[in-house]
Amino acid sequence: MLTFIIRRVLIGLGILLVSSFLLYLLVDLTIDPLEDLAQSTATNKEFLIAQRIEQLELDKPVIQRYFEWIGGIFTGDLGTAWRTNRPVGDLLQGAIISTVQLVSAATVLSILLGVAVGIVSALRQYSGFDYLITFVSFLLFSLPSFWVAVLLKQWGAIGFNDFLANPWIAWGIVIGLGIIAGFLWQLAIGGALKRRLINGAIGAAATIGALAFLQLSGWWETPNIGPVILAVTSVVIAFAVTALSTGLKNRRALYTALTCAALGVALWYPVRFYLFYYLTDYMNWGVVALLGLLAAGVGIGIGVLYRGPDWKQSARTGGIVAFLVAGLIFIDQVMSVWGPYYNSNAINGRPIPTIGDRTPNLGGNWWVGVLDSYTHLLLPTLALMLISFAGYTRYSRGSMLEVMNQDYIRTARAKGLTERTVVVRHGFRNSLIPLATIVPLDVITLIGGAIITERIFGRPGMGQLFLQSLDGAEIEPVMAYLLIVSFLAIVANIIADLIYAVLDPRIRVNA
Amino acid sequence: MKIRRISALAATVAAGALVLSACTPPGDEGTDGDGGGNAGIDEGTSINIGWNQPFYEYNSNSATGNATANAIVLYLMNSSFNYYDKDLNLVTDESFGTYEKVSDDPLTVTYTINDDVTWSDGTPVDAADMLLTWAATSGHMNTVEAEEDEEGNVTNQDEVDAGVFFNNTSAGLALVEETPEISEDGQSITLVYTKPFADWEVNFGVGVPAHVVASHALDIEDAQEAKDALIAAVNDRDAAALSPISQFWNTGFQFGNALPDDESLYLSSGAYLLEEYVNEQYVTLVANPDYTGDHAPTVERVTIRYNEDPMAQVQALENGEVDVISPQSTADVLASLEALGDGYNIITQDEGTYEHVDVMFDNGGPFDPATYGGDEATALAVRQAFLKLIPRQDIIDRLIVSLNPEAEIRNSYTSIPGSPNYDVVSAVNGMAEQFPGATDLDAATALIEEAGVETPIDVRFLYGASNVRRQQEYQLIAESAGQNGLFNVIDGGDDNWGTLLEDSSGYDASLFGWQSTSTAVSESDANYRTGGLNNFGGYSNAEVDALFDELQVETDTTRQGEILAEVETHLVDDAFGVTIFQFPGVTANNTEVEGIDPISISPTIFWNFWEWSTTATEEASS
Repeated sequence: MLTFIIRRVLIGLGILLVSSFLLYLLVDLTIDPLEDLAQSTATNKEFLIAQRIEQLELDKPVIQRYFEWIGGIFTGDLGTAWRTNRPVGDLLQGAIISTVQLVSAATVLSILLGVAVGIVSALRQYSGFDYLITFVSFLLFSLPSFWVAVLLKQWGAIGFNDFLANPWIAWGIVIGLGIIAGFLWQLAIGGALKRRLINGAIGAAATIGALAFLQLSGWWETPNIGPVILAVTSVVIAFAVTALSTGLKNRRALYTALTCAALGVALWYPVRFYLFYYLTDYMNWGVVALLGLLAAGVGIGIGVLYRGPDWKQSARTGGIVAFLVAGLIFIDQVMSVWGPYYNSNAINGRPIPTIGDRTPNLGGNWWVGVLDSYTHLLLPTLALMLISFAGYTRYSRGSMLEVMNQDYIRTARAKGLTERTVVVRHGFRNSLIPLATIVPLDVITLIGGAIITERIFGRPGMGQLFLQSLDGAEIEPVMAYLLIVSFLAIVANIIADLIYAVLDPRIRVNA
Repeated sequence: MKIRRISALAATVAAGALVLSACTPPGDEGTDGDGGGNAGIDEGTSINIGWNQPFYEYNSNSATGNATANAIVLYLMNSSFNYYDKDLNLVTDESFGTYEKVSDDPLTVTYTINDDVTWSDGTPVDAADMLLTWAATSGHMNTVEAEEDEEGNVTNQDEVDAGVFFNNTSAGLALVEETPEISEDGQSITLVYTKPFADWEVNFGVGVPAHVVASHALDIEDAQEAKDALIAAVNDRDAAALSPISQFWNTGFQFGNALPDDESLYLSSGAYLLEEYVNEQYVTLVANPDYTGDHAPTVERVTIRYNEDPMAQVQALENGEVDVISPQSTADVLASLEALGDGYNIITQDEGTYEHVDVMFDNGGPFDPATYGGDEATALAVRQAFLKLIPRQDIIDRLIVSLNPEAEIRNSYTSIPGSPNYDVVSAVNGMAEQFPGATDLDAATALIEEAGVETPIDVRFLYGASNVRRQQEYQLIAESAGQNGLFNVIDGGDDNWGTLLEDSSGYDASLFGWQSTSTAVSESDANYRTGGLNNFGGYSNAEVDALFDELQVETDTTRQGEILAEVETHLVDDAFGVTIFQFPGVTANNTEVEGIDPISISPTIFWNFWEWSTTATEEASS
């Protein structure tokens, strides 16, 4: 194992050196730092050109400049962006944070959604739902991201903001949406005609009911989770998590989940109006993480208290449910500043933005800041998600189908396990193995692919840094970007191989 | 049993929570709904302006800081002696200070700053600040230049560190060789030019605050002491003191990821204070409460937001995130702006860059007399015939009018349309008659026939290959010049055209743009003088050179226009080339903002910021 890692790391370093050399030559060919001066009519043009040649050492051969640059890298000096004279290290710092913010939410959400939909699609192979998902995912997969981004801005931001100015959905549209939702639900759940009809009706009624509730309670003006929505959602979460984690037959787990949900509803008031109020000035993401862990701990504790022979399962279920319910309370708190946010002069009734990563001149406390960065993340995250979601759907569908046709699945069914156990424990887990190799690589592609999304949404991330530096003929930031991306790609490959070996006992990495 | 116990526990907790809720919780007011508090949200209003490059350095005179992105922000922050108005006339701002040409020979100018003008930390703006500008950009303080050995290592690093090196030099101020004298009250400074300089009026002003530079470089706390130390250092050319001063001047005002903690690094002497700076995102300027000058703004806050993508700017305008944008103009951008409908103003106007065709005189090609055995007349006829066939009006009609309906042919080599000299110069230089916009095929054919040159004549044509507009221009020119089989225009489009320009042996005619950054008349010198830096084609005319010599030292603006007209008449007679159009620009704003009226050179939309107003404030408070 160790020799394998060492060997891969050494090979990776070699690749990194060679690729950085080639890229340096290519970038040097591409850019012309003197181009803007060539057009200049400044009276001291000759001086300026001489000065720049000296500053950038353009009179030296490119290979010599490469070795000087790579020497700097080894001593920890990433160079400077010569136009602004800012150290590349500084530039990267801000850019990496912004990109990670954007990419992480998009990656997690698209994996969760993509895998879920892909698995369901595989279980209903060759059904209407399967064809529909296949169609939609190919459609999304083939969309160019710059176009998606522009459309999202037009409808998701400008259109939605216009809607918010007078938030009323005509009842005909509400009913229409309900019918469509019902149709999709019955496709996904499947079964005989009667079951389909019942499921479809339930789905339609739930959707229409939910929309009607939002509409009539004035939810669009003051969005909130509140005790009612919190209670309903928490119970749904409790049942859903239990069903996936242990199955509803495990009564202890179910009671644990429901207790967590109930506790969450009971704590909603004191947490929202006392705890968060007093914490407002001290809030940061570290505190949020601590509170989240605390909630999960409480959930685990409740599961342990229910005891029984399989208390570990109850504890797991309780932890997940408690964490999710706590998350809902957190979201509710963030939503509570919506009113002042929406009405502030800086927002002026148009809360979904199209550019930037924060609203200028907004001010406000920590919660306002969270809400503001959320509204700014919304559309770029969606743009990235739509495309990688499609990919994950295809991957997980394919691997699930393959797994479900294995002999051990037939054996599991034959020995009388419930369909849930077969699908979740024997099928689903094994279908994740190929995904483990795809995800790390995909994260890298996403960082690279976020170039277009970042540019169009004006987020100051890595892609934006790369483009701007290339435009400004600044080789050092460009090379820093390329070096980081190729470094991450190599690391991701190594990690993918290792994960594969850990997950799948048939694979050995001993070299 | 156990389950019941735990349910009871949960019920107790729930009940407890309900009891607690009976008291008025502290968090209930202030965060919920729109009734109570506002969660600390800022209630100010501002105009948001979309721009393409972020602000990054306060010292726009240094080698790194010299960019429009910095100049526009500094224009809002700092007052100056003069500015360009809508018609590109230089207008003085006497609420800041005055200047006066005391003598023509030697050219002597006295600049005086008003008594009540201060930096935003309370220190007066005075002659010390102007002395620093001269010391830094005249180049006369510099004592060292970096020397390198064969391996490119700086051999005299210690001397460079110890010496004085200001990293940018202004050609005009270099003519002021003697240290300018400061008046007794410390408000005036007198510059004596060793030879007259035509553009002295746009050549000088206040740069960065002297007391800040001196106090940081020399570690002196008191502002007046710091200034005195700086004045003494410059007067005595004290390298030991000037060395840290030059280092701080070069790099001390560069911004990092955030607004510097040290407020003295971004002082204002004018209408706005820099309030907030978020790297790559925006800068916010707030009206300076202590400003007493003539350019007091009515808009409380100006925020400049950065986004490079023109379409993204248009959508941000539509979504109300920015109020004014000035994106790079394309047909798509203009179409989507027009689709926004009512509530938005769209202004199409000229920009500072102009497109032109030059022909080469010295490369042994079709326009070089050497090709015809030194026969000047034949080469001239070929040049004239070629230029007569450049379809200038057609290019504008097909490529430019859709972006700027008022676009017209530019008929001057040296003056921007709309500037004071343009009408004078274009009326007499004869370009419109010699090289009509509609082309003159008959005259061109006759010229070639008379000259007896074998047709078709090959012309290698250089332009930027990836620039779609230039590709189309090339097509139109090639088609027009190819009529009657006169010229065979060879496609020499190349992405490295900027570098290839230097070597005229590789092409016979070129198509590209020159950018004007001011109305300074000496800017055109390098384009047309024998051996001039931008005179790529080897054009040489002794009379033109003599006229430029005269222009360099002519300080009378009327006479400057006359000289330029004479120069241009020679250029037309010699068939130097033709100018085609001014780059089209577009500015759009929502109607909440009034008073936006851009000019073609820096600071473009910002020049009249004190005339802006916004109706957003009233709306928000109603």
